[in-house]
Amino acid sequence: MSERINAFLVGLIPIALFLALWQSLISFGYAPTNLLPPPGAVFWRLATQFFTADFLHDLAATLIRLFAGFGIAVVLGVLIGLAAAVNPAINAVVKPLVRVLAPIPKVALYPALLLILGFDHASKITLVTADALFPILLSTYYGASMVEQKLIWSAQAAGTPRWQILFKVVLPAAMPSILTGCRIGLVISCIVVFLAEMITSSDGLGHMLVQAARTFQTVDMFVPLIMISLLGLILNSLLHMLRGHLLRGFPEV
Amino acid sequence: MSPRRILSALSPLFACIGLLCVWQLASMRLGTESFPTAIETLRAVPSILTDKESIRNILDSMRRMAIGLTLAVLFAIPLGLMMGRVKAVANFFNPLMMIIYPVPKAALMPIIMLWLGVGDVSKTLVIFLGVSLPIIYHAFQGAKAVEEKMLWSGAAMGMSAPSRMLRIVLPAALPEILTGCRTGLVLALITMITSEMIARQSGAGNILFNALDMAQYDTVFAMILIVGMMGIIFDAVFEKVRLSLVRWSQPRDDMPLSFT
Repeated sequence: MSERINAFLVGLIPIALFLALWQSLISFGYAPTNLLPPPGAVFWRLATQFFTADFLHDLAATLIRLFAGFGIAVVLGVLIGLAAAVNPAINAVVKPLVRVLAPIPKVALYPALLLILGFDHASKITLVTADALFPILLSTYYGASMVEQKLIWSAQAAGTPRWQILFKVVLPAAMPSILTGCRIGLVISCIVVFLAEMITSSDGLGHMLVQAARTFQTVDMFVPLIMISLLGLILNSLLHMLRGHLLRGFPEV
Repeated sequence: MSPRRILSALSPLFACIGLLCVWQLASMRLGTESFPTAIETLRAVPSILTDKESIRNILDSMRRMAIGLTLAVLFAIPLGLMMGRVKAVANFFNPLMMIIYPVPKAALMPIIMLWLGVGDVSKTLVIFLGVSLPIIYHAFQGAKAVEEKMLWSGAAMGMSAPSRMLRIVLPAALPEILTGCRTGLVLALITMITSEMIARQSGAGNILFNALDMAQYDTVFAMILIVGMMGIIFDAVFEKVRLSLVRWSQPRDDMPLSFT
């Protein structure tokens, strides 16, 4: 336990150094405060702004888009991934499509989504889904195709119907891989929702940043950035806890 | 080649044709001006690719991407390998990385622009930042998984620590590193487009979003097609290089592993 605490403390050093460097750049006059606000001012602004209605409204808008897009991506990704892993016919259709679509930078599709779906939630949610889908789909596919054949045979020998094997054997066995995919998808969702809001939006954290940049409010530019970083950190640790819960009983999680 | 293999090699082509057909039908069905059909869009592509100004913009983008990617590879691989082999280094950098990871790097663009201007330096820096993290992460994972026994044998044969790093850890972690590089390549393209969207000065993203603002919808869709093709081509070329570099490692399925 003390080793873990030590490791944690060592990890705080670069963060402290980073903040100290940031502060000293200002204190020693290398950077004017209108270009680089002191860290204290940024965190103070975040703390005071956090409970204002405007900020919470923006945060809520971002979260809705993030969760909706990510949620759809998880459902679609797991279903398609499982289907492609167990059914050769579906596999033959899905595989070439994924090979073509996965390497396309999805942000470039955003103008098209704007023109087709409009400037509201729908286009942003679709973009988040498009970006988070592929890592989840691919890791589900790999997890499900790596399931040990013996497990399936045993289940069949015990008289489990075919479709139940999918949910009772294949899905749980693929779970570690699926969760890894979800974790990657989550980080990407955070990034993409922010970028989409920066491009066109009337609310959300990304919009806050653009608004602040237009009026040269440097302090306000840092606040949404720190917020999205915190958000990613919180969501990541929530997913980690979920992983610990779902994978209890698995060796070496 | 057996007919089966030819079929599987051509399947991405069929997928492209299928997607274009779906697009064509969808746009004909909707019939709005802001959603041109696939055929109209394909017709607009050659005019962009023969225009000198557009070509210069696209080459500018690719130059920045290449520089950013190269710098990131040179910086990230040694750091990741060190983190994988030396526990203290990993403890030192891990929390910082976890904080930086979910920050969209292109969102730093407005701030970096204040310091370094709208030119090449800011955009290349943003690409560098975006690409570094996945490569560090994968190099770290790869180096961590190197079999301890091989290092012991190396040490017993009198190899020094740096040469063990170069001749045992680096090759052993190479498949994992290359997976990271592939993720980095896709991210570089994304960051490139977004950074140019924010600092409209030159580049492929610049053409794309200017066309959107000026309601030249066929240019918008044609640019999307071009950028998408760039993504697919880069990925395919990289995959060829990767396969030739890690021929000895166990064969992988032919689905792309980008982002994992």
